[in-house]
Amino acid sequence: MIEIDTLRKSYRKSRGLDGFSLHLESNELVGLVGPNGAGKTTLIKILATLLPADSGSVRVSGHDVSVDPMAVRASLGYLPDVAGIYQDMRIGEFLEFFADAFRLKEPQRTAAIERALERAGLADRRNDFVEHLSLGWKQRLLLSKVLLHEPKLLLLDEPATGLDPLARIRLREQLRRLHAEGLVILISSHILSDLEDICTRIVFIAEGKNVQEAQTAALAAGARAPAIRCELEFEGPRDAVDRAITGFAGARILERKEGFLLIELPGSSQDASAFLRTVLAAGITILHFDARGPGLEERYRRAFGEHTP
Amino acid sequence: MRRYVTNPMIIKELRQRLRERRSWLLPTLYLIVLSGIVVCVYYFSTDTGRRLRGAEVQGADIGQAIFLAVVFAQIIVLLLMGPVFSSGAITIEREQRTLAGLLTSLLTAPQVWWGKFVAALLYLLLLLASAIPLLALPFAFGGVEPLDLVKALGSIILTLACICAIGLWCSATFRRSVHATASCYAIVLVLTIVTAITFGMLYAHWQQSHPGASGPPAHIQAPLFLNPLYPLLTLIDDNDFRFFVYPVSSWLMFAGVGCLAAALAMRRLQRSGEQL
Repeated sequence: MIEIDTLRKSYRKSRGLDGFSLHLESNELVGLVGPNGAGKTTLIKILATLLPADSGSVRVSGHDVSVDPMAVRASLGYLPDVAGIYQDMRIGEFLEFFADAFRLKEPQRTAAIERALERAGLADRRNDFVEHLSLGWKQRLLLSKVLLHEPKLLLLDEPATGLDPLARIRLREQLRRLHAEGLVILISSHILSDLEDICTRIVFIAEGKNVQEAQTAALAAGARAPAIRCELEFEGPRDAVDRAITGFAGARILERKEGFLLIELPGSSQDASAFLRTVLAAGITILHFDARGPGLEERYRRAFGEHTP
Repeated sequence: MRRYVTNPMIIKELRQRLRERRSWLLPTLYLIVLSGIVVCVYYFSTDTGRRLRGAEVQGADIGQAIFLAVVFAQIIVLLLMGPVFSSGAITIEREQRTLAGLLTSLLTAPQVWWGKFVAALLYLLLLLASAIPLLALPFAFGGVEPLDLVKALGSIILTLACICAIGLWCSATFRRSVHATASCYAIVLVLTIVTAITFGMLYAHWQQSHPGASGPPAHIQAPLFLNPLYPLLTLIDDNDFRFFVYPVSSWLMFAGVGCLAAALAMRRLQRSGEQL
């Protein structure tokens, strides 16, 4: 769906992208994560045909963005970080305008507008002015607008900015539903818990380069990991804990602090349970045990610890 | 071509413009001002005529005076309004963060430009058309030919189209409406005042070297070709203005400047992704 190879983009005083590469397959919901100024918005703008790249290649749905931008636009929906909306238009007029802007012909045009109104939950407010909607409703309207022409790919740049918790939950549900309908979604956000909840893959970016690519829990659940990392917080003598760990085949201490150990175990969650039983049998008081491995926040901290100010 | 005629931008722009309070307030004020000018001109031309020639006041003189007054008042007022409607057209999309939505739709940059241009020009033409009854009034007095009306309206429309194109270029170039509007007014000022001053200086210099010559040649008049009032001078049936006879050159200049501004605005619009 998206093929980006060694993409570079420079501004007058800074470098936006510096050899970034990414391949998105069908049915992926990918989160783009990185600190401010990492190049996320630049990347999304290039994909949305708003910015030309300096070098590298970008193909969306098989079309080169620099050669055939119209075909690219026809296949994607783009929601910018601060998306404006025509306040002085009625909701119906707003959707009609964009249906015409995407060259939808009757009867598809009317059907698309009706579908967008239903999707936004605004079917009974068609004649209301946009300015009377709350931020959450406006965001829903904007999302419905970018889906009017039934794109195959959705580019979302910080879509949850400024939304209240309920609106964020609704947005997450809507994105999950759209993904289930077969839409490929690339979403940039700083709200890591949202991304962790819905994304099938997380792509890290810093200083315009790929940093690390990691599978989130949703995908990792289906795959058998060769090793598992466990966090262990305990009370009691350290020697007893060390003896229990060295007695467990293949266990390795990765990090040691006062009352805390990060341990790598061979195998899967069953092996983690067996390890926990061994530690408990040794008479050690367990305060906290987590065998899920580091969450997205922890992975972010590790990936960008040196990049963030 | 059909896409440019059935451009959704035109409908959107006109719908938004006509919802503004100024959309009905401005034509009202505009017509009040023009009507006031007509009354004043009628009063002064009959009064002055009476004083100069006794009771005999020629209807043709009154007709021509009213016609010229309305035509010149219209071009001056519309020159002041042109930048208001055109130079904020693209910057407002940028300021309201709606430009990205347009540029990622299937509307091309020329289509976006055309929609903005037609909407701005149509509103000015609405003002122009609303004053047609006042322009028709001189025909009741005589002294004005239908061709004069066609020439006057054609010249005003061409000038306004050029000003709208310049306004849109300013709008595509600057990030903020206030800067774009100020720049457009500066350009209008250059076209109206600076060209006239330049012509005055060239003419004075030329007169010194050509004493007794009948009138300034084309190259001395050249700065005036870009003056919006110049083509309208040919409408004046007066000895002092009989040398200003190159309206076609002026129209060609305006058409050229308008096309150049349009091309630059579209190019700028295509590359405005970095400003979003």
